[in-house]
Amino acid sequence: MTDPRIREAANAIECVLLVSGEPVRLDQLVEAAQAPPEVVIAATELLQQEYADRGLEIQAVAGGYQLGTRPAYAEAVRRYLGAAGREPLSQAALETLAIVAYRQPITRPEIEALRGVRSEYILERLEERRLIKAVGRKQTVGRPILYGTTDAFLRYFGLRDLSDLPPIEAFGRGAPNAAAAGAPVNTSSEP
Amino acid sequence: MTNTRPGTFVVHTATFEGPLDQLLRLAQQGQVDLQTLPLADIAADYLAHARRDFDVDDVTETIWMLAALIELKARALLPQPPPPEEPPVDDASDLEELLEERLAAYRAFKDVATALRALEAYQQRVFLRPPDEPDEPLLSGVALTDLFRAFQEVLARGRERGAEIPPEGITVADRMAAVLALLAAHPDGVPFDALFPPEASRLEIVVTFLALLELIRLLRVRVMQEARFGTIRIHARIPQEGRSGAEAG
Repeated sequence: MTDPRIREAANAIECVLLVSGEPVRLDQLVEAAQAPPEVVIAATELLQQEYADRGLEIQAVAGGYQLGTRPAYAEAVRRYLGAAGREPLSQAALETLAIVAYRQPITRPEIEALRGVRSEYILERLEERRLIKAVGRKQTVGRPILYGTTDAFLRYFGLRDLSDLPPIEAFGRGAPNAAAAGAPVNTSSEP
Repeated sequence: MTNTRPGTFVVHTATFEGPLDQLLRLAQQGQVDLQTLPLADIAADYLAHARRDFDVDDVTETIWMLAALIELKARALLPQPPPPEEPPVDDASDLEELLEERLAAYRAFKDVATALRALEAYQQRVFLRPPDEPDEPLLSGVALTDLFRAFQEVLARGRERGAEIPPEGITVADRMAAVLALLAAHPDGVPFDALFPPEASRLEIVVTFLALLELIRLLRVRVMQEARFGTIRIHARIPQEGRSGAEAG
């Protein structure tokens, strides 16, 4: 028998996640549900269990929780929306974004040294898509802009936070990793 | 090869005695201690000499040689930069190692890019509920045509006045900053016309309009029109992250 306080909080959280349409942080859920953090955490775990075989899923993303459709039913949603798939990032943009994500904060010259090609245009496009932003200036000649990733970046890839990035072997030789093989598992309770 | 015709200037110092061109040649060969060579004294001596015996060609040549000496001495006095910590990679194996390292790093990023591609593919199949109504409409009740009509009115006014103020290097960036400053001073927003001072030249009007379009694109301003053909008002918009549309379904 579920603790009625947890049941109550879970129902409230379910409603908040439905209307939000974007990740809701734990403190926002605590505020909305008027329940202590440990109850809210237990409630999100309960919801995740209950949604396990439903069309919707609750993801821990960008420091919060979000209610979204399960990828398995993407085709049904697309048929209904009549919308073509969203344009994925180009390979060059993805590689540049990876360098920013793992080496942030990083300047354009440093990125270009790694990629071996000019990257001004790609950085502008990534900034326009709000996936990266200027986070400061390096205290060196010319005070070049330092880039870092944004919350939108975490949402775009469904990451909880930066520590959730696929592991990289610093100078590893072709280390494949688990995340490349399949979908991420979003069952963790920690936001 | 020095012709010591009478009247030729001769340098007299503690360490050197002879014609100036010889001193210069020795200095260039590094055989003179420039640090202790009293160039000011030599120059003063020469000035005194030139007052007695003035020859334009001689003066030109001497000044050139003195200047060359000053340059050499200045270089000698400047602190030398320390030798580079790491000698440049000249060894073939070092270069190979460096390239290998670069390549490894790049390969690692290519690998995680593949992992990120999988995450992207997953997340692109997740649809979120789109927000009901953007709580901060960017263009509320304003069609682009309304904006252009208002722009044409302002432009026509600018045209009626005869004399054109000569262009003074008006840039879109400057006008964007000016519009933002104006909006910062008016938290309740300003009417469209207020963006264009009455004395504005056509160039300024055009550039200001471009600046406005750019600010709309950058989500820095909101444009609102209460009624059709009503006053268009411009508001500053607090930039906020998120709601980027990158992830909304």
